[in-house]
Amino acid sequence: MTKRWAVLATLVAAVLLAASVLVEAQAPVKIGVIQPLSGPVAASGNYVRMGAEIARDWINAKGGVNGRKLELVIEDNKSDPKEAASAAEKLIVRDKVPAIMGAWGSSMTLAAMPKLEEYGVPMVVETSSAASVTKRGNPWIFRISPPSEMEALGLERHLDKLGVKRADFLAVNTDWGRGAVGAFGDMLKKKGAAVGAAEFMDQAATDMNAQITKIKATGGDTLFLTTAVEQITLVLKQSQEQRLGRKIVTTGGSSSPTQLIKQAGAAAEGSYHIVFFMPWFPEAMPDGRLAKAFVDEWGKRGHPFEGLTEGFRGHDGIATIAEAVRVAGKDEPKAIREALWKVSLMGVNGPIKFEKDGPAGKESGQSKPSIFVVQIKNGKVALPW
Amino acid sequence: MNGLVLGGTYALLGIGLTLIFGLMNVVNFAHGEFYTLGAYAAFATLAGLGGGFVAAVLGAIVCGALLGGLTERVLLRPLRGESIDTTMLVMIGVWIAMQNAELLVWGGVAKSIPHPFPTEPLVLGPVAIAPLRLFVMALAAGLIAASYLLIHRTKLGRAMRATFQDAETAALMGVKIERIHTVTFAFGSGLAAAAGALLGPVFLAYPSMGDLAALKAFSVVILGGLGNLPGATLGGLLLGIAEELGAGYVSSGYRDAVGFVIIIVVLLFRPSGLFARQERIG
Amino acid sequence: MTRAARVLGALLALTLPFWLQNPYYLHVVIMAGIFGVLSLSLNLLLGYTGQLSLGHAAFFGIGAYTSALLTLGLAWPVWPAMLAAVALAALAGWVIGRLALKLRGAYFVLVTISFAGVVSLVSVNWMELTNGPLGLPGVPAPELGPWSLRTKTAYYYLVLAAVALSYLVCARLVRSRIGRAFLALRENEPLAESVGVDVTHYLVLAAVVSAGLAGLGGSLYAHYTRFVSPEVFLFTYTVTMVIMVVAGGKGTLAGPLVGALLFTALPEALRLATSWQWQMLAYGVLLLLLVYFLPRGIVPALRELRGRRAS
Repeated sequence: MTKRWAVLATLVAAVLLAASVLVEAQAPVKIGVIQPLSGPVAASGNYVRMGAEIARDWINAKGGVNGRKLELVIEDNKSDPKEAASAAEKLIVRDKVPAIMGAWGSSMTLAAMPKLEEYGVPMVVETSSAASVTKRGNPWIFRISPPSEMEALGLERHLDKLGVKRADFLAVNTDWGRGAVGAFGDMLKKKGAAVGAAEFMDQAATDMNAQITKIKATGGDTLFLTTAVEQITLVLKQSQEQRLGRKIVTTGGSSSPTQLIKQAGAAAEGSYHIVFFMPWFPEAMPDGRLAKAFVDEWGKRGHPFEGLTEGFRGHDGIATIAEAVRVAGKDEPKAIREALWKVSLMGVNGPIKFEKDGPAGKESGQSKPSIFVVQIKNGKVALPW
Repeated sequence: MNGLVLGGTYALLGIGLTLIFGLMNVVNFAHGEFYTLGAYAAFATLAGLGGGFVAAVLGAIVCGALLGGLTERVLLRPLRGESIDTTMLVMIGVWIAMQNAELLVWGGVAKSIPHPFPTEPLVLGPVAIAPLRLFVMALAAGLIAASYLLIHRTKLGRAMRATFQDAETAALMGVKIERIHTVTFAFGSGLAAAAGALLGPVFLAYPSMGDLAALKAFSVVILGGLGNLPGATLGGLLLGIAEELGAGYVSSGYRDAVGFVIIIVVLLFRPSGLFARQERIG
Repeated sequence: MTRAARVLGALLALTLPFWLQNPYYLHVVIMAGIFGVLSLSLNLLLGYTGQLSLGHAAFFGIGAYTSALLTLGLAWPVWPAMLAAVALAALAGWVIGRLALKLRGAYFVLVTISFAGVVSLVSVNWMELTNGPLGLPGVPAPELGPWSLRTKTAYYYLVLAAVALSYLVCARLVRSRIGRAFLALRENEPLAESVGVDVTHYLVLAAVVSAGLAGLGGSLYAHYTRFVSPEVFLFTYTVTMVIMVVAGGKGTLAGPLVGALLFTALPEALRLATSWQWQMLAYGVLLLLLVYFLPRGIVPALRELRGRRAS
């Protein structure tokens, strides 16, 4: 009798085990996404989301990750750090996501970071540029976007070709703008150029004429501009009205030159832009085929072309996490974190591989993205040299 | 120069709000949303339907007025007896709803509103100003003048003034109080929409553009004195000029603080507004 | 509320972390508690003295920054920093109170908005003091003897204690002679003055207590979220507080608490129920409907209902 019970028990156990594995196998791999989908930078947040969705669909079309479909759980941080933290908590506790991508702005990312440590869930940072994100000693952070210092280094080799002798700064008054002013200022001084005025504008400001007047008075030859594309449009237009007449270089990669041509028109002529993706010359990207495919898919979905310079971040972020899940073999947060240190993949921007950054013992991961410079010439985006 | 352009539009916003806040005693937090709606309406006309600039502004006014009248009729009239806080809360709800509806319909990407003016600035002596801004200033002045005409020269205007000076007597004289309230709200909202349609092409249109505008409108109303139309006009112009000067000579970061500091100072020394001595409409 | 209901409620509140295990829900409750303190404070001014302060986020933010800066920069322990936060916010309240001496109604509203606006701009631009838009990360959690109150459960009890304390302070104030003076102020100021009520004295008192409590809320917020940035001065925080007080029922003691609970839970519930595009739109519409049907607020409406059923 006991034998029969044993056989029955084993059979039941086997069936249950098989069922659970099957259910597990069909359960999708969830990735949390936190972006500013409303508020002043809603455009950028939405572009990143669109890029993430393309990555998800491509991966699922190829069979998913470890045989399971990828699912994005998308949350809006409303451009408010408090919301970013709440969204992270909700994603981790309620949706039980094993990894997150976010949160666009550095303040939002910084606000969510304590939650990552509290629950032990890794986050891939796709846009934030503040140095503190990877220097705070949070071992659950992996950043694929360049901090301002890296960006400045990327421009360094072009400095002579640009011919910068005396530069001024106009930046948005956020961690991003201020960080850029600091990083680029240091780089310029190292190369022997002079730094003139550093003016700031409120994130929601629309009238920068006062700042432009002050900059006009310094007699510099170059203006470094760091802000979102809407404000860049306004600054270009107002600079033209005031006849500023000097070289303009935008930093941060969010300048979306195509949108500038459309909205600022002649005022954008001649300006230089640091970007991390060149959708006008996808073949010139490290993986030309992938870049071109991304541009095509973006267009097929009817997304605006100007969003590509930010949308690729969403794609690369999701691709990175998916690759980590594949390497780890399971969608468990600690395993994914270990795997993130091991991944080496090709994103739309270029190769992604994390190096240690920050205080010893608690390093965050930082990848070294590729940095490009383009110029608006004759109403079109061109490679300057 | 820029101060005048901004000032003219602030004046429009202020006149509209001084009627609604000053006379109807409604803390209209949604005033900025009618401003935003005006900008988007202009965008829809210019970009979508291919109409002219003046048509766009008129279209915006109509949209603002219609929605304003509807809001008053449906939401405010039933709550007429309630406290000012209740109506304020209603307007907060309208504000949230409108802004998020705009976000839903037009998306978060800022829209550049096309306009038919050349972008090269006109140089008048030491001053360079874009033709668009000149046109905006002219149109704003025109609308302000039209408002005055309406309030002081028409029967409707007389009815409005009567209602807000002494509702009971006005009612006895045959004025339909309820309808006047609706019309006043519609008028105020229409002006806000006009301001949005005018400033939209100068800057950009995006869903949260109304928030700061509303705050400035409130400052203008206080500066000029509640219910005081000429006060609101002058207040708006003053604020625009003060902001430009402040940003230029003080620090650019504290530019918006200029408006706030002005309010505090004025209220400390002249609580009923700078122009209280002048005629009050109600 | 009947005696039995009150005891039950207290029991539920005291044992909450044990039956509400989900940390996300606990997080929502803690935030509701912090906003409960804030709403009670705003209610003192708005509900009881009838003065609409739309700059309340300023006191909240001053409390948050004071606490954060003292514990981060000067390495103060949390408890004295919290007291300092309350004191500094109360001081700001005193300043506003004195300003309000000359102004009423709409003008007072505008001064409070302007005050909040100026403080906000200072926090963004005065980099040396506040680190500007970069914010202050890593604000330490409070410690009680050997225990760190870092866990949610521990922090819940801290917030619960704060809410109880605030409620008691408000209740004692409102039911005392001072409270009667507040009501006199609210209902008919000239009359109150003519009967010898020292209007200025009471207004300033209300402002000081109100601001101090808001500062407490700010300090609690800073040590819970451990990150303070200029966004705390955002007008939306003030608006949220106003919604909680008025929709909950201004001029009542339970109203703001009900409002705080409801309007902290509502956005999160919407986050769970709908996709991100519709959340805030639904919030606005729900708010409109609530005010339309319950213009006096929830608690007064419930009382009315009970009164009607009793009669």
